[in-house]
Amino acid sequence: MALVPEPPVPRKLTMPNFILLLHGNSGGTPPDSPDEYMAMFKAYAGWADRMRAEGRYKGGEKLTDEPGKVMRPKAGRAAVTDGPYAESKELLGGFFVIAAKDYDEACTVAESGPHLGYGGTIEIRQIHEIHES
Amino acid sequence: MTAADALVDDLFRREAGRIAAWLARLLGAGRLDLIEDAVQDAFGAAVARWPLDGVPDRPAAWLTIAARNKALDRLKREARLEPFDESAAWRLGFSNPEEIGRLDDTLALMFVACHPALDPDEQTMLTLKTVCGFGVAEIARAYLTTAEAVTQRLVRAKRKIRDLGLRFEIPEGPELASRLPALVAAIYLLFNGGYTARTGAALTAPDLCAEALRLAELLTAHRVTATGEAQALAALICFHHARSAARAGETGELILLADQDRGRWDRTLIERGSAHLQASMTGEELTSLHLEAAIASVHAVAPCFEATDWAGLAHFYRLLEELKPTPIVRLNAAIACAQAEGPAPGLARLDVLAETRKLAGYALYHAARGDLLSRLGRPIEAAAAFTAALDCPANDAERDHLARKLAACR
Repeated sequence: MALVPEPPVPRKLTMPNFILLLHGNSGGTPPDSPDEYMAMFKAYAGWADRMRAEGRYKGGEKLTDEPGKVMRPKAGRAAVTDGPYAESKELLGGFFVIAAKDYDEACTVAESGPHLGYGGTIEIRQIHEIHES
Repeated sequence: MTAADALVDDLFRREAGRIAAWLARLLGAGRLDLIEDAVQDAFGAAVARWPLDGVPDRPAAWLTIAARNKALDRLKREARLEPFDESAAWRLGFSNPEEIGRLDDTLALMFVACHPALDPDEQTMLTLKTVCGFGVAEIARAYLTTAEAVTQRLVRAKRKIRDLGLRFEIPEGPELASRLPALVAAIYLLFNGGYTARTGAALTAPDLCAEALRLAELLTAHRVTATGEAQALAALICFHHARSAARAGETGELILLADQDRGRWDRTLIERGSAHLQASMTGEELTSLHLEAAIASVHAVAPCFEATDWAGLAHFYRLLEELKPTPIVRLNAAIACAQAEGPAPGLARLDVLAETRKLAGYALYHAARGDLLSRLGRPIEAAAAFTAALDCPANDAERDHLARKLAACR
């Protein structure tokens, strides 16, 4: 047990984090064969590997295949609709959290992956970090 | 190692066939549609999970379990429309994924796909789809047809299988004797399709040939199906496949047997072929495949074209002509005769075949005549023969070759 409290770790100068929300798109055609699934896996895994190698990858999860729900206020009670995107389960529905200098860089990272090429959509939002002073 | 490099490129294709065979054992041959969908679902799940979580330690086992769970999901979903198939769900639930990859299952699946009630194209297409794990579009490319056409044939083939109510097993006894030939023929057809692509730029479709060899050696690996004919089939494919690298030049042009760099022949495959040929002799029957394999072996063991045992070749062709007097066999017998006895007797035998309708539209017939005529010093007739050859359907590599021959006559 430490008797002396640890000195405060100086806050590192880190890049802001962005969330890349990967939506499917019903416009894309699903893979037709095991070889095409393999090509798709290699493309996504290569993208994730590159993000890890660049030290940007902060985490990620797969989302379930349903389109999800959107709630909006409506005359006293909430209106629930499916959406906002029609998910197609053939595409990876999920999110990555990545570090990037700014939106431009985050967009470049998003573009360097295979998702758009497979007909998917990517929503990018910067995560607002709350700094303790 | 990064996730993207962790897997061999054909892992999914290989596993697709193994998982399908395992699930077909559990669910029956009538369930091929559900099985294929479940296997695709499993790949979809892997594509979605693995880039994030990393590749599991045993990817094949992961896929097997995922496919089983997806099959269960599909059974449950199906239960909204029809009675829940409780016994199928029970068999899946108590299945042991470690039992995947049994040769018996893969062979049983091949016997289903090659049932004689299916026509030959349906057999090979269904084999490529279910046993080999190729997609509809890939099969369509191999058959120079559309994906829709392939889908239609597969649907029809699977309906026939459902209606037959086939048991999922390797037939034995008299039933084996009646069903094995269709399987052997389907593999032979698959190999032929890969060996000479009819038109277009690619001379061989190595994938098809490699699959045919793999399937043939599955037959020879099982005590029930390792008949003399199956051994002969495996031998034949080994010998031909051994030459594949030497058959096409750098630009894809056709290189004839006489001009091939024999140093590029695959010696290991030739040895494997010789072992199969040896094994094929143990049975009592002599099939046309035995003779075709013997003929291929004569070429494969000749150190150079001139040193080919032409007399032996002519002998095998004579036997083959008796068993299988097709125009193509007679054409090849005439060519072997020309090598063994000289161009004049060879040409005489070719000219006898001139009336055969099938050969009149066959480029190689006219090309062979052209060769013998130019060896006999008759360039004008030779040029006419090569011109006739160019009027026949041929792939790009063959057309180039014929054009060069024609130019040499002038």
